[in-house]
Order: sequence, then C-alpha cells, then structure tokens
Amino acid sequence: MPMKNGMINIIPLAVGAAIYGFAFGVLAAQLGFPWWGVALMSGLVHAGSSQIVAVERFATDGFLAGAVFAGLALNLRYLGIIASLAPLFENISLPKRLLAIHITGDENWALTMAKRAKNTNVGYAFLVGSGLVMILTWVSSTTLGAFIGNSIPNLADYGLGFAFTAAFIAMGRAMWRSKNDVVPWLVTFGITILLTKLNMASAFAILVGSLSGLIIYILIPTINKVEKNDK
Amino acid sequence: MTNEQWFLIIALGIGAYSIRFLGLIMGKTINDNQHLKKLLDNLPACLVVALVASSLAEADPITWFSALIALGVAIITNHVVLTMIIGFSTIYLLKLI
Repeated sequence: MPMKNGMINIIPLAVGAAIYGFAFGVLAAQLGFPWWGVALMSGLVHAGSSQIVAVERFATDGFLAGAVFAGLALNLRYLGIIASLAPLFENISLPKRLLAIHITGDENWALTMAKRAKNTNVGYAFLVGSGLVMILTWVSSTTLGAFIGNSIPNLADYGLGFAFTAAFIAMGRAMWRSKNDVVPWLVTFGITILLTKLNMASAFAILVGSLSGLIIYILIPTINKVEKNDK
Repeated sequence: MTNEQWFLIIALGIGAYSIRFLGLIMGKTINDNQHLKKLLDNLPACLVVALVASSLAEADPITWFSALIALGVAIITNHVVLTMIIGFSTIYLLKLI
C-alpha cells in the first residue's frame, strides 16, 4: 500500500496529537524554553510524554540527570514497539529502517499494525507515510504552542504547574490495564509521598517510589501462588 | 537557551533514538525475557504515578481537590488535553475565589 495512504489515514489521529503538542509547546515556553528550542526538541526526541515529563522535572528541581532518566524511562515501551515492526522491515535497507524507527510514534504504529492485521499489503510505506505526517504535525504544533507561550503573560502564579500534574494523571489513566495495577500503584504513590515528606530530593523519591511499585508487580504472582496453595 | 537546556534536549534525543535502535537490533531478545519484559512494561506506569505523588506531596488542599477533579475527568474521558484544560481551569478558578 503506497505511502500516500498512510499520510491520509493518519490525519484524524494527527489532529489529536496537534492539540496535545500545542499544549506542550505553551507549557515548555512558559518554563523558559524558546520556540526554536521546543522545535529542536520535538524534531530530535519525537516523544510527547517523554518530553513533557523531562521538561517538568527539569523545571521543578533542575536535576538534569533525573529529568533525562524520567523522560527516557517513559520511552522504554519503544523497545517493544520497534521490535514488533520486524516483519515490516524485511527487505528494507538499513538507512531506511533507521529513518523509520525515528518517525514511528504511538499513533502511526498502532494504525499501521491495525491496518496490517486486515491487509498484509500494509507495510513499510504506510508506516513511513503516516510517520512523516505525525512528526511534521508534532514539530509544527509544539513550535506554534511555544511561540504563543513565549508571548503571553507568565501563568505560573495561576497554577500552571498543575497542568503537568493533570497531564501525568491522564497518562496514568491511559496506562491503566486491570485491578492488578491497584496495589503497585498505591504503594508507589504512598512511598513517594512519604519520602518527599521526609525531605528526600524529589528525583530520588520518584525513583525509589517507582522501584517499590515494580517490586510489588514482581511479588504479586508469588503471593497469589502461595494463597492458592494455602487453599 | 541555557547550557542545561541544550544538554537536556541532546541527551533526550540521543537516549530516545538509542532505545528505538535497541528495539531494532535486540527487541525480540528483550521481549522473550519474561522478567525483563515485565519490568519494562510496568516501569512507565509506576513512574507516572510517582510523578503525580511527588507533585502532590507538599501541595495545598486546593491542589489535591483539583487533582481529584482531573482524575475524574481522566477516568471518564481518557483524554490528556481535556484533563489538562479542566484541571488547570479548576485550580485557576479556585485560587481566584
């Protein structure tokens, strides 16, 4: 299926990404990033949630390594996403693969895989066509948002920082899978609050809180197995 | 732009592309390792929950209330921008009152 089909089919999803990109651009500009810096970041990183997390962390505690770690940890899902593209990359040259992995995002990956499930002719060209539209949309919408954000009054006093908290809440909602998430999430939340209250630097409180939740995820199957055996 | 901002952008850019490249060359191996896959699958969600907790830990009751409203909007709509707009509007209006 030609590249043009990917470009056309992705448009509805691109509209949604543009709104999100615009909002991110406004926030990043309000936190001191120039519009061209936001454009550069969007072109180089091309990962919405990672960018929003890293910028918020950087603005909150100025701990660069923590901001980079948090942003990248959120992007680890791309290991699986890119791995799943292997069938589309058969007979595709390495330079073309290297381009495709950069312009692959959540939306065009999901669309390509959904279309491919129905029609095996959907492949590399569709992925690249839809990916090009997505990255262009992302860069232009974040840049426009930053341009506007640079020219409006400072909203920090009116609770601008909370827009990030709200974004994280929405990201968490999107990551919710089942009731098995309840306990690890509550442990993560509780430990992070406790450590922050005990004056631990926020970057480390977040790290330890996240690791505590991961430990619970690992322990849950073992606990369930012991309970079953007891019965 | 400050040196720190340059560093953040370049480090994020290199890191994000490295993760994608790793997925290209050894994604299958990683996916076949159940323990590693479980950690990688769950880390982003734990991190996001910890970020919410961190931003609320020292917050005032108005912020906590606004967070509850944002959570309600997120549960109902599952829409990031709508949650941000309604969450920010809530805290903005409450602080005006």
